Amino acid sequence: MKKASLSKLLLAMMLMLILVLAACSSGSDDNAEGDGGSDDGTEEGTDEGEGGSEDGIYSIDDFPAAKTDAGEAIDGGTLNYGLVNSSVFEGILNWNFYQGNPDAHVIQFFDESLLSADENFTYTQDGAATFETSEDNRTFTFTIGDNVNWHDGEPVTAEDWLYSYEIIGHPDYTGIRYDASFRNIEGMDEYHSGDADTISGIEVIDDKTLEISYKEAWPSLLAGGIWAYATPKHIFEDIPIAEMEESAEVRQNPIGMGPFKVESVVPGESVTYTANEDYWKGAPKLDGVTLTVVSPETVVQALESGEIDIAGGGFPTDQYPDVEESLTNVEFLGVIDNAYTYIGFKLGHWDADSSEVVTDPDAKMADVELRRAMWHAVDNNAVGERFYNGLRWNATTLIGPAYPDFYNDEVEAPTYDPDEANRILDEAGYEDVDGDGIRENPDGEELVINFASMEGGDTAEPIANYYIQAWEAVGLKVELLDGRLHEFNAFYDRVEADDPDIDIYQAAWSTGSDVDPSGLYGKEAPFNYSRYSSEENDRLIAEGNSEESFEVEHRQEVYKEWQELMVQDIPVFPTVYRAALTPVNERVTGYSAALDWSEWQEVGVTQEDPVLPE
Amino acid sequence: MWKFIVRRLLITIPQIIILSIIVFILAQMMPGDALSGLIDPSIDPAAVEQQRERLGLNNPWYIQYVDWVGGILQGDFGQSFRFKMPVTELIGQRMVNTVLLSVVTLIFTYLIALPLGLISGRFNDTLLDQAITGYTYIGFATPLFIFSLFMLWIFGYNLGWFPTSGSVAPGTEPGTIAYWLSKVYHALLPGISIALIQVVSTVQYLRSEIIDTKQKDFIITARAKGAGEQRVYNKHIFRNSLLPIAAFFGWEITTLITGTVFVEKIFSYPGMGLLFLESITQRDFSVANSLVLLFGTAQIMGALLSDIILSIVDPRIRIK
Repeated sequence: MKKASLSKLLLAMMLMLILVLAACSSGSDDNAEGDGGSDDGTEEGTDEGEGGSEDGIYSIDDFPAAKTDAGEAIDGGTLNYGLVNSSVFEGILNWNFYQGNPDAHVIQFFDESLLSADENFTYTQDGAATFETSEDNRTFTFTIGDNVNWHDGEPVTAEDWLYSYEIIGHPDYTGIRYDASFRNIEGMDEYHSGDADTISGIEVIDDKTLEISYKEAWPSLLAGGIWAYATPKHIFEDIPIAEMEESAEVRQNPIGMGPFKVESVVPGESVTYTANEDYWKGAPKLDGVTLTVVSPETVVQALESGEIDIAGGGFPTDQYPDVEESLTNVEFLGVIDNAYTYIGFKLGHWDADSSEVVTDPDAKMADVELRRAMWHAVDNNAVGERFYNGLRWNATTLIGPAYPDFYNDEVEAPTYDPDEANRILDEAGYEDVDGDGIRENPDGEELVINFASMEGGDTAEPIANYYIQAWEAVGLKVELLDGRLHEFNAFYDRVEADDPDIDIYQAAWSTGSDVDPSGLYGKEAPFNYSRYSSEENDRLIAEGNSEESFEVEHRQEVYKEWQELMVQDIPVFPTVYRAALTPVNERVTGYSAALDWSEWQEVGVTQEDPVLPE
Repeated sequence: MWKFIVRRLLITIPQIIILSIIVFILAQMMPGDALSGLIDPSIDPAAVEQQRERLGLNNPWYIQYVDWVGGILQGDFGQSFRFKMPVTELIGQRMVNTVLLSVVTLIFTYLIALPLGLISGRFNDTLLDQAITGYTYIGFATPLFIFSLFMLWIFGYNLGWFPTSGSVAPGTEPGTIAYWLSKVYHALLPGISIALIQVVSTVQYLRSEIIDTKQKDFIITARAKGAGEQRVYNKHIFRNSLLPIAAFFGWEITTLITGTVFVEKIFSYPGMGLLFLESITQRDFSVANSLVLLFGTAQIMGALLSDIILSIVDPRIRIK
């Protein structure tokens, strides 16, 4: 008996020892990684560069934007659309009120813009409505097609379109769409403040004709600046505007004028649609669509089992290398996303009283040569290849290739060249005075740059560390703000408040449909987080949205010039552009992932059941 | 006993008030609010600011708190900032799912736990008992979220026996039998996954309790009186061994409404746990606060319920 208890005691002690040892060893591993990281990183980087690009590195050029049809579409069939999202959709199914992107995916099937747009997001005359512009470019006359009807058979009228404006401009409106392009309408301010019952600048000429007069002629009006969504007035008329967004007409049984009708909505989870035979572009080939929310963690399995045909709304591209071989039943479509990641330099602060940016010439990052050297010091193609398998790549300008006619591909942006970075810093007076391998500023004082970066995914931390090491390699001491990454809300709270502890930060912009950069880099833009301003910048931004710029060539010239200016002044520098991938089951025909595509009536399937992997 | 219940209920009132204040302050201290996620160049910051003003998000916390409590006293838990609908309606939608999932889980838990515990206790130290205790040790060591992923992968994707996400098949008409069958069907796999892991503690309790009881004097007496083995186990041992499990039952009831965050997340099952998680990450404070209040109340009630059940099943325990 005594012996047994002794052996038990021994066992317990052994177990404890194992635990202690395990804890120690994992700790020391971590340390080793932290210390040796920089050496390993650069070595591997060069290896991979030489090793050839076929080894797990992809290029956006290899992805088609449109689905390659694998046969004739059958008559009918139901498409399963997977909305990739880690949470439910909010279910505010009305263009006037929705906020989140998932809801937009749900709405696109049953309601659409009256105006269609081209690849540069500029309105064309191919939509449900056509328009004419007056001589002074301030008045637009819209004519809605005669065959455009709501799902309940009522025609879509000019009155319905006006109604959208009356909702959004109303003092009781609960959404977030009331912006500068609304305020630019004649009489809108009076209506919004409640002084007028009608909007004087919008006139219903007849059942199908609407005229809108603007105070100023802005070219950006024609690039997504017009609210082109009608609201079925006969449905919503009796609902107070403040209660609309919670009404069943928005959440449970919404109607629209799009190719499919909503049949049923399971809140947050799924929506079923049936074909709208009366659709103005012709009856859809499909009998219906079933939309379900799929989480990014399980989307690959859902594609493999044929549960969903299309994974829309943001397939996690980092999973692509793992599944490219096994998902033989799926074609991956790729387009250049209208987004870029960037490093921003804090150059001033936001003056809330005058609502404008105040640039501080004495800011720590105020020296443009320092900023240029920092751009030269980082190898963004390596970041794209090593962390994103080539599905992100070096960015050059702030108007990306997603806007083909405005993108300035001739801009000479600084590229990876540490020697050049060193030369610039030497010339600008950033010398290593005390011989510790770290440069001091031109006054000989210690220079420590604080870098704020967001957490998110497995790559956020290694990427931030890579940049810090790359800057260290040219003798600049950059430290992570508080020594760690920051959560999204906390990050933007501090960047927005111009926290003096932040000198540089890494963030990303998803740019809207309008190429006009005033919302992100204008002097009056709260989103101008770098707080950069200059006379030249003001001039070009104003010029780009002036009446002369209704001439598209002129507008392109202005914005190309602006892109040059951004490369000269470097208030921020773009790091990578990104690809957006959409996997589509082989049985789907007529689909395209292009950002300006909206031809759901053309989509069909070649067989009743989804194609499964071989 | 009524005195006891009333006293306990009275104590819960200050508990809940303190809980609500703490929760409210903590929520306010988190960076950002429900609208700060709208960093999008196509949305005018002025329009967002206007909505922030309208929703009262710019007021100091004590004013917001008073508004919130004032609403609750009138039965109004406020609007969800994110879903733009009344919180009560939103919680109602999710509660149905969670209660269903929990009931399924409870049924499976007891369906598995009672026979396993009985067998293992009755035939202790046999091969069968060792197999069952072996299972319980593995169950203790397996994290629920890993196990759920595993179950989802095998039975959801590879075998395709169960739906892999959601709470109901798209397009089924609410209220019909098909609708409810579909709901139960969707709750089965997550329910079984939870049950298989959660059951192990109950099995262990029951086993040790039975082993304990069967050595007691009154059992020897029963045997001496000539009671059959079956009768001894069913009437004498089983009843007496259920005490700790009955005490547990009150707590299990509270999980009926709190839901399980991990499992709901993995199965994309829109229940209370998932709603809670999302309302925190999206800063939907009105929902998060109401949920914490609800969960807190449920916990306190669960504890009370446990005490009451215990006093009913065990006449020796007298609450004074």
